[in-house]
Amino acid sequence: MGLAGYIGKRAVRLVLSLIAVSILTFTLLQLAPGNFADLQRVNSGATNFGGVGTESMVGELESRYGADVPVWKQYLIFMKGAVVWDFGPSYKYASRNVQDIISEAFPVSATLAVLAVLLALLIAVPVGVFAALRQNSKTDHTTMFVVTLGHALPSYLTAAFMILLFSATLKLLPSGGWNGPEDMILPVLALSLGPAAVLARYVRSSMLETLREEYVTAALAKGGPRRTVIIRHALRNSLIPLVTVAGPLLAALMTGTVFVEALLRIPGLGLYFANAAASRDMPLLMGTALFFALILMVTNLVVDLIYGLLDPRIRTVGGGSHDGH
Amino acid sequence: MTATEGVEAVVGTTGTGEPEPIERGTTARGPWARAWSRFRQHRLAFGSLIFCALLILTAIAAPLIAPYGYEETDIQHKLAGPGAPGHLLGTDLLGRDILSRLIYGLQTALTVAFGAELTALVLALAIGLLAGYLGGRVESLLMAFTDVMYAFPSYLFAVVMVTVLGRSIFALVVAIGIASWVTQARLVRAQVMTLKEREYVEAARSMGAKGSTIAIRYILPNAIGPILVTTSFAIPAAIAAEAGLALLGLGVQPPTPSWGAMISEGSRYLLAAPHMLVAPAVLFALTLLAFTWIGDGVRDAFDPSGEQR
Repeated sequence: MGLAGYIGKRAVRLVLSLIAVSILTFTLLQLAPGNFADLQRVNSGATNFGGVGTESMVGELESRYGADVPVWKQYLIFMKGAVVWDFGPSYKYASRNVQDIISEAFPVSATLAVLAVLLALLIAVPVGVFAALRQNSKTDHTTMFVVTLGHALPSYLTAAFMILLFSATLKLLPSGGWNGPEDMILPVLALSLGPAAVLARYVRSSMLETLREEYVTAALAKGGPRRTVIIRHALRNSLIPLVTVAGPLLAALMTGTVFVEALLRIPGLGLYFANAAASRDMPLLMGTALFFALILMVTNLVVDLIYGLLDPRIRTVGGGSHDGH
Repeated sequence: MTATEGVEAVVGTTGTGEPEPIERGTTARGPWARAWSRFRQHRLAFGSLIFCALLILTAIAAPLIAPYGYEETDIQHKLAGPGAPGHLLGTDLLGRDILSRLIYGLQTALTVAFGAELTALVLALAIGLLAGYLGGRVESLLMAFTDVMYAFPSYLFAVVMVTVLGRSIFALVVAIGIASWVTQARLVRAQVMTLKEREYVEAARSMGAKGSTIAIRYILPNAIGPILVTTSFAIPAAIAAEAGLALLGLGVQPPTPSWGAMISEGSRYLLAAPHMLVAPAVLFALTLLAFTWIGDGVRDAFDPSGEQR
């Protein structure tokens, strides 16, 4: 099977999965008791965005979908819009269209995620190499213990500890919001530690493996400086397997942004998704959920393709590299 | 157990980095006894087990241990700091005792986590065993279903489920359980696929054992080790999921306490009352670490050569 065939097959699978996800989400949300208008009537007075205009929203919903239209037809209407990037207006953020909210909020989340990946690599590669070179020493064990901590704690908990340290105690950084570049520091730090821990572990074990390879021994035997051999021969080759963890890692990072954004009040996609769920803003919830699923699936596909290019054996199996979440 | 040099090198560096002696010449004890003795040698895991047992006891006996009810307000002492008279860890915005709310929050966290993992395990075992054992059309159907669910990012699914089911303990158990069974089901099926080719299963079949007997008597007991390992790692994940949903405002209905909601509340009053954030964050971190270390211990006990995850 050629590369084009492989890509085609994966793309078809992606579209099918996306349709399955959209049907499942749509059906489930149809079953949800209570809608946005009901919730507003209950809450009105208690919250500032209370009951105004909810009736007109319901009217708008009906004009979009038509009254008494069967669910499957509503789904088709929704998907017809989704395909041409039109999800209709949000309930909660009245007068704004869901697709506009997504295009405004996604860059915020993406910036956080990309910076977090870069920082994670900057931390993980030196730490992993360092630990591998001192295998089984006290430093190695201590580093790997710290790595376990980073792995076990979810990013929002790390963020909580960071605002305690940097905002409440040292009073250096703001404890949330999104007004300037200084607001990026804490979320990026919090998001990067988990991935850094996972990556460091992989760099370490991969490095240990390559250090035992004959070409490394040969390069050392030829009298190459240790530092050059380690960087040019061992490190370079031991970074290839990292691609396999990239998929699950990016997925975990996406998940992380939802919670970190909620905790630090950053207007990214995750915050809108969470708010949409809490206030039953169905168009926004559908839109953001589908967009999240799309991003995750495309990321997985790209990661698999890169890995397929690096290691042609994968293509014939046609499998994915996405084990574990 | 054949311990080659390569294996030894890996074993020496498992998880927490404690060098583990490789048992040689262990007498004819069962695999469970061997696993238990390996688990006990893992000091961090064994300590964590004791800590978690205490947590579970505290959660069960919450009404006896907590000094106050979780809704009880002390209007005289709102936002009291730690060490205030009668409130060891202080009080929150409404004057509710933080220690008591932590204890009841522990109850919420553990009920949801264990309930969800039990749900996930039952689903995964049923679907994985059926698919792995029956094969053929049933298998492809069940696995196609599993693949669709696998494509669904699990936290998206959990959020959607809570939106549908409402904010209750039951809803959280179902949402988190359903969102996390897929990985388990795939593992069960893979186990069944390998085990059913083994000689002893062949032997049982040739002697006329029924399919269900083979699945339950012969395959399940031998698949249980790896399943136990993933389940023990799934427990801290479920605890984190419950707190995460609460952080998004999708946890149990207030005033029932949840650590996630306490953390989110604490972050909002960070400067006025940092103790509102410190207490739940520290307890939450300790609990997650302890459960994760138990998972490490279980993994090393059943699979001393593996350094996965």
